[in-house]
Amino acid sequence: MAASSKPGSPPSSSSSMAQDLFNNFSFSKTLKLKTKQQELLIRVTVLTLIYILAFITRLFSVLRYESMIHEFDPYFNYRTTLYLTKNGFAEFWNWFDSESWYPLGRIIGGTLYPGLMLTAAALYSVLRFLRFAVHIREVCVLTAPFFASNTTLVAYFFGKEIWDSGAGIVAAALIAICPGYISRSVAGSYDNEGVAIFALLLTFYLFVKAVNTGSLAWALASAFGYFYMVSAWGGYVFIINLVPLYVLVLLVTGRYSLRLYVAYNCMYVVGMLLAMQIRFVGFQHVQSGEHMAAMGVFFLLQVFFFLDWVRHLLSDTKLFQAFLRITVTGAVSVGAIALGVGTASGYISPWTGRFYSLLDPTYAKDHIPIIASVSEHQPTAWSSFMFDFHILLFLFPAGLYFCFKRLSDATIFIVMYGLTSMYFAGVMVRLILVATPAVCLISAIAVSATVKNLTRLVRSQSQAVQSGSSKGASTAKSSSKGVIDNSQPFQRNGAIALLLGAFYLLTRYAIHCTWVTSEAYSSPSIVLAARGANGNRVIFDDYREAYFWLRQNTPPDAKVMSWWDYGYQITAMGNRTVIVDNNTWNNTHIATVGRAMSSYEDEAYEIMRSLDVDYVLVVFGGVTGYSSDDINKFLWMVRIGGGVFPVIKEPDYLANGEYRVDKGATPKMLNCLMYKLSYYRFGELTTEYGKPPGFDRARGVEIGNKDIKLEYLEEAFTTQNWIVRIYKVKPPKNRW
Amino acid sequence: MRPKSDNPQPLTTGDSSTSSLSSGTTTSIDPIYHILNILPFSFLRPPRLRLKLPSLSLPSPNLVFAFVLLTYFMVVSGIVYDVIVEPPGIGSMQDPYTGSVRPVVFMSGRVNGQYIIEGLSSGFMFLLGGIGIILLDLALDRNRPRSVKSSYAAAGISSVVLAYVMSMLFVRIKIPAYLR
Repeated sequence: MAASSKPGSPPSSSSSMAQDLFNNFSFSKTLKLKTKQQELLIRVTVLTLIYILAFITRLFSVLRYESMIHEFDPYFNYRTTLYLTKNGFAEFWNWFDSESWYPLGRIIGGTLYPGLMLTAAALYSVLRFLRFAVHIREVCVLTAPFFASNTTLVAYFFGKEIWDSGAGIVAAALIAICPGYISRSVAGSYDNEGVAIFALLLTFYLFVKAVNTGSLAWALASAFGYFYMVSAWGGYVFIINLVPLYVLVLLVTGRYSLRLYVAYNCMYVVGMLLAMQIRFVGFQHVQSGEHMAAMGVFFLLQVFFFLDWVRHLLSDTKLFQAFLRITVTGAVSVGAIALGVGTASGYISPWTGRFYSLLDPTYAKDHIPIIASVSEHQPTAWSSFMFDFHILLFLFPAGLYFCFKRLSDATIFIVMYGLTSMYFAGVMVRLILVATPAVCLISAIAVSATVKNLTRLVRSQSQAVQSGSSKGASTAKSSSKGVIDNSQPFQRNGAIALLLGAFYLLTRYAIHCTWVTSEAYSSPSIVLAARGANGNRVIFDDYREAYFWLRQNTPPDAKVMSWWDYGYQITAMGNRTVIVDNNTWNNTHIATVGRAMSSYEDEAYEIMRSLDVDYVLVVFGGVTGYSSDDINKFLWMVRIGGGVFPVIKEPDYLANGEYRVDKGATPKMLNCLMYKLSYYRFGELTTEYGKPPGFDRARGVEIGNKDIKLEYLEEAFTTQNWIVRIYKVKPPKNRW
Repeated sequence: MRPKSDNPQPLTTGDSSTSSLSSGTTTSIDPIYHILNILPFSFLRPPRLRLKLPSLSLPSPNLVFAFVLLTYFMVVSGIVYDVIVEPPGIGSMQDPYTGSVRPVVFMSGRVNGQYIIEGLSSGFMFLLGGIGIILLDLALDRNRPRSVKSSYAAAGISSVVLAYVMSMLFVRIKIPAYLR
């Protein structure tokens, strides 16, 4: 972790003051460090403290609850990592899983991004080699904070590359506690993004270093960084589109150079070849429309190099102008024709729905309900920005101003990264994560430049005082400072006051970040907490209770039908086969489950018999007031089911356009399978003092159909707080 | 392009031309120029026109920066949320005692929801804070007269303070449990 010090020359006044300070302490006569060593010591100490801070601020949930995996997706990652450590890489790479998506199964080896699992398994084997007897779960839980600490180091080097080492340190400090990043990298959130943001920032840093130095070694390193990013997350498409866009902007602004040529060529070619090693990505780099920008810019760069060489050979400039026009027009037209032929013939596939909805945000709402239903995919409101960035929202435009003042290849890159990522963050809440490193870096530039200005003001006053007192002669230096001498104390005090103000703002940022981390982003989602009547904290551990009941009380080959949100958790903790899970790769299968949930019990029984379902699991929040239950998600089941099976019509479930579960609900709603399974025996329960029995606390109404009889299913298990309810599908009646 | 019947004219670099591939030299290496020379224009006489191709030049950094600030304001105000979710400009609540309809500026209840005006005003505050810091930097620039510098500094400091106080106020109104 040694930070190499730049051979810069610190201002003489600070060194003299520091030397004076050191000489005043009698014991430091033996400990007299030169200024450069002092600076190095301070920097290394600060970076170490930032490293530790980034790790420990993410540990709230581990300290409050226990070391467990959060949310839904991380359970799948945990299960695959477990399989990898038990059975080795070859088995993992060729794994066909028949325990999910019954009866289709899933080719896991070819449909996941292996970077995260391989990283955790590598850390696990290193720790095991050093004879630390850790469980793989602990390694998985703490992978994300560890990589967040590494990200702060990369941010320091990146800041140093773009601006100077002061900006690097501020960037590291900002990104260590920024809530936009913490939200997806808290301890227990074992998800791709925890590792991917580290890989993203590393790739960008290595590429900018390669463009600045023109060295082949750095370009090769950036290609390997890109390979790591491709293996870690599907968001690598952002890199493969931002880097060509950046090269294009450099070409347009006349900053073509051999360094750029070397850096981009090496990164693109070697990176593309490496990326094809991941089975999930396959040949997309040459076949998919999302990757064509990189290829187009690659060929354009060859044209530029060729023209540069021709200009070097030709001595006649007018001839060269003509040649230039012909070549550029010819190249552009050949490229356009090739693109047109490729797209028309179908070889180049069009942009997939997920990424197309980023360019046209209204597309998902109309055409792809599955993408539109995920709450993380909603567009961003101002308060989400404020929550995740706080004062960085003020510092971002100021930092852009400083970058525009000192335009160079590196600052153009960070400006483009910041602007494109902020646009995407505005389109989808989840992508605030991708914008966070850029916002932190640009804000760090603003902070560093402003603080430098202010301290220069403070120091120049004291320097003028010193030079005025020691020399006192009318040199050109003191005459130019004459103007400042008149307003000397005012400016100096003003600068000190502004410095204190900046320090206050940064303190408020730190307080905000810690509060947000503690209150909003440290909940494990699988364990719910609420405040009881007398202020004490009440914990609902119903999910794990239900999954363990499944694990211990059902036959090993039982198949469980639930909505796709819970699939990963059921396979990982309950160890039973599920019908659909969070991978959502087969829309028709999910629509079949949605249709079963929204039909009457007898039709649903037919569908469940055709899928071999043994148990049905529903999540119900009426007793506790938990609002993310299946009744609140029910309209999405109807929409997705209705998207494939037109027999399910959404207006059948809405009374006057309004979604109700009380007496005013439609008869189809009151008798569908989801309603019956959620409210079975609920009509006898009194949930709140002073309210009639059957009062649904999550919707705030008394339910309409209290007398529910189940014909084809029977209740198998209901958890302590009625959050998870499991029903057994009865076998068909014997004939006669 | 110059018609063949004209007198030879002095060479100009930015000459007017209807064909984008013509060159200024008399012996051109452009193949399409030669083809056009032969095919229609050996018997057609083009008229003398005073057309000028518009010259494209890169915009200045200040213009680009102003455009960037404008897009930043729009994104941070949540304009994509406004376009897709289509919330009302301002919310309304019915007073339970008097029965009159009162406006509600801040959508309460969740973090990721807003009304249009609420978003725009918060975005404006963020932009104001940013501009305040920029003004502070302009105030510390040496090559300006003192009065301009001090007015920039005053404007900058007041902008930052105002923006920060208002943003904190907005957040506290929207999320009552903030920092408690």
